[in-house]
Amino acid sequence: MSRTDRDVTRVVRSWLEDGVTALPDRVLDAVLDQLPTTPQRRSRWAARRRPNMNNSLRIGLAAAAVVVIAFIGYQLVSGSNVGGPGPAETPTPLPTGTAAPSPAPAADFPPAGALAIGRHALIRGGVPFSFELPTADWSSSGNPWINKDAGVTPEGAAMLFWNPDPDNVFADPCARTALSPPAGPTAADLAAAMSSVPGTDLVSGPSDVTVGGYPAKLVVLTVREDIACSPTGLYLWYFEDEAGELCGGELVCGRYATALGDTIRVWIVDVDGERIVIEGETYRGAGPEVEQEIQQIVASIRFE
Amino acid sequence: MDTDLVVRAQSGDEGAFASLAVAVGDRLHAVAHRILRDIDLAEDATQQALLSIWRDLPQLRDPARFDAWSYRLLVRACYAESHRDRRWEPNLRLLPADEPITADGYSSVVDRDQLERGFRRLSIDHRAVVVLHHYLDLPLDEVAETLGIPAGTVRSRLHHAMRGLRAALDADARPTTRKAAQ
Repeated sequence: MSRTDRDVTRVVRSWLEDGVTALPDRVLDAVLDQLPTTPQRRSRWAARRRPNMNNSLRIGLAAAAVVVIAFIGYQLVSGSNVGGPGPAETPTPLPTGTAAPSPAPAADFPPAGALAIGRHALIRGGVPFSFELPTADWSSSGNPWINKDAGVTPEGAAMLFWNPDPDNVFADPCARTALSPPAGPTAADLAAAMSSVPGTDLVSGPSDVTVGGYPAKLVVLTVREDIACSPTGLYLWYFEDEAGELCGGELVCGRYATALGDTIRVWIVDVDGERIVIEGETYRGAGPEVEQEIQQIVASIRFE
Repeated sequence: MDTDLVVRAQSGDEGAFASLAVAVGDRLHAVAHRILRDIDLAEDATQQALLSIWRDLPQLRDPARFDAWSYRLLVRACYAESHRDRRWEPNLRLLPADEPITADGYSSVVDRDQLERGFRRLSIDHRAVVVLHHYLDLPLDEVAETLGIPAGTVRSRLHHAMRGLRAALDADARPTTRKAAQ
């Protein structure tokens, strides 16, 4: 069927209407935080105009700016304490961990910042465990994921430590249509569901492996190059974030792909009936060293 | 746009700029997302654009032209972001309540998918023209002024972009036609 120009325009306009519109507060906050250290570029005509401003107005504007900055600062400080379920004390990463002694005191997750070589403790879903980093180029987000600090493709990488773990996968990741009926409660159920998420190719698995002495399923996927939406619109799996723990709301929290060609390795560990899901993601073109490092970290995991 | 806010922000009033940023942030982000087709890149582009607006605001001669001028800075930021290497970001996002997970999917999912593919094949130059004209409803001469290019170039880019999108949409119909012919 041939479409008229008007048809095409109508479809394009309708399609453009679909999508995000709201700028997240954190982006706005980041901009406003940078204002005091971002000088304005003055043009000559503007510079000539400034002396016309009377002193009282100038003082008033300065006061308003101070109030706004103070308000934003207060919001940031108070906001950082909102919803913080875990202990305030942060673990001290071991400086250099050649002998891998006992992990630092357990906390929910290592605090944001660079992570030293050595063992790091965390608790996911009430299950305490630890992992060991073989190199110093990893950093913690402060949330349950760590980044390999190469920063850019293709040597960057990330690992997530899930619990609450994914409840289900998407049957249509671009349209966010959930698999129905949803994946079952066991590690094998979730692994089977993850193995067939559209928009991904199954590289291997589900395979039976062991993580930290517990039985686990390993699934390895790649994000296809020909998906029908952007990678960050390709939602793979999700969980009900009732506690607002990861996504900051009492709604559904979705996990999306990062880039085309990414490889995503998923270990679903059955720790005495509690599912702990660990993911390692690397970019297309990543060398074997990155994958080896992820394998090494998973192999180092010890459940306490 | 409240030109008084613009004038005060030009004078270095951070409070006025905060109000300005709140007023325009959503719109800039929506445009960036439609050009870049990537939420994270769009957030970064919007952030960079807002900082550029703050930095260069004293050089804006006519506060009434703030909207067009801000879109120009945004499109520049989109160019920059489109060429930047990606950093791995936390890939978890709250799914908006108005986009529930349903069993029905999207009503015109085929068209949408075809458009997504077609649009991603366009350059940022072409995408910007499409978004400014068909999303923001800017007349072509205003698109030209916003982007700082001749009106003829805008018409040409729009023509090529729409032709590409039409081809993407028509590509969906072709297999059916071939199948019927066999």
